[in-house]
Amino acid sequence: MKQIVVGISDLKVSGNAGDILITYALGSCVGVAVYDPVDRVGGLLHFMLPDSSIDETKARRNPAMFADTGIPLLFKSCYKLGAVKKRMIVKIAGGASIMDDMNYFRIGQKNIIAARKIFWRNGIIIDGEDLHGNYNRTVKLNISNGKFYVKNFANLFEEL
Amino acid sequence: MINDQLLKSVNNLPVFPATVHRVSQVISDPDFSVDDLVNIIKYDQSITANVLRMCNSPYFGTRYKISSLREAVIYLGRTNILQIVYTAGTSRFYKRVRGYYWGATKLWEHSVGVALMSQILAKKIYSCEDSGFFTAGLLHDIGKVVLGEFVYESFQEIMHLVSRRGYSFLEAEQEIIGTNHAELGGEIASLWSFPKETRDAITYHHRPDLMEKGEDSIPWIIYLADQACMMMGIGGGVDSLAYRGLKEVVNKFNLRQRDFEKSIVLLLKDLDKAKELLDLVKNE
Repeated sequence: MKQIVVGISDLKVSGNAGDILITYALGSCVGVAVYDPVDRVGGLLHFMLPDSSIDETKARRNPAMFADTGIPLLFKSCYKLGAVKKRMIVKIAGGASIMDDMNYFRIGQKNIIAARKIFWRNGIIIDGEDLHGNYNRTVKLNISNGKFYVKNFANLFEEL
Repeated sequence: MINDQLLKSVNNLPVFPATVHRVSQVISDPDFSVDDLVNIIKYDQSITANVLRMCNSPYFGTRYKISSLREAVIYLGRTNILQIVYTAGTSRFYKRVRGYYWGATKLWEHSVGVALMSQILAKKIYSCEDSGFFTAGLLHDIGKVVLGEFVYESFQEIMHLVSRRGYSFLEAEQEIIGTNHAELGGEIASLWSFPKETRDAITYHHRPDLMEKGEDSIPWIIYLADQACMMMGIGGGVDSLAYRGLKEVVNKFNLRQRDFEKSIVLLLKDLDKAKELLDLVKNE
């Protein structure tokens, strides 16, 4: 088993059955895992902010930073490895927020809304989600079988 | 209030390196001499080694390759030297922290993140680069270094209050242990003879709204920088984002969502450039 770490504003894809893609402490960021069970190809994105229009230069250099540039790149990167859109399973986790976070800097909520919009516009159904709350999540995707795990606040991985 | 066991743990902390305070004193004189500064720093081997490790870090953006303490003092400038010396002297306390983190170096990563973010926000909001923000950022969670042991022992009880009863992590610490990491951190800073502004920034970093009227810009900036790092999961711990958000911060700084998000983009860039700072704790 090879564990491949996905950093903040980063994405990794793989078609090797021995790989586990993992990303730590999502906070308000959102982790998006996609997997084609026929081709056994998958990818994991850890995006940070909803909208690339705040810094388009940065978005060109590092598309994985934003939902609107990161999610399309995640899919395209999987297609390159042979994945097919209509077969792909999509799971998302993260989008946590500070307590009483009404009215200001709702980055977690905005990240979730941004992701939902993109999937909706592209006719993609979200097959599993673990969102909101006030805690960090670590997630991993097993490329051999597409199982997606979320670490809860008791520090245990549970399959989503 | 702080109980005997806690007091004992606080007293067992190594003293804060006097070298750092002396550097800060000397450098506050606009006519400080390079030799004086070098002579203070060089007697602390650990700080000297850390200064040299850090001074070529892209974060400080020197155009020269620096290989000696003297060159560092000449080329880095007052703000950078202060930041470097504080970082060099502080990392030793973050080697091992129990209770809050699953990974040993996470609190250091978080502290550096908050220090960098407080600089970004201070520049954006006050158009200034004051090393006071940086220092307070590095030290804001110093209370966790001591309280971690106690959080570890009472972890189930604390998490019960947080996950089931709507407590913030800070409130749960207070309820179960009788103090919280911010208050305790302020006490530690006081023992270490830090100036009032640094102590206040540490004590009030989760609740700057509770401060008496007066000079409260550092606590509010640290509060906001801390929240940004928690949201981004930078050095994320078990307490995660379980802290209260204070709406006042928006009016206080007149900060737009867009500006906050742009600052986060800058933070990620700075963290990338500041790898040498993050690695310090591994060399301790």
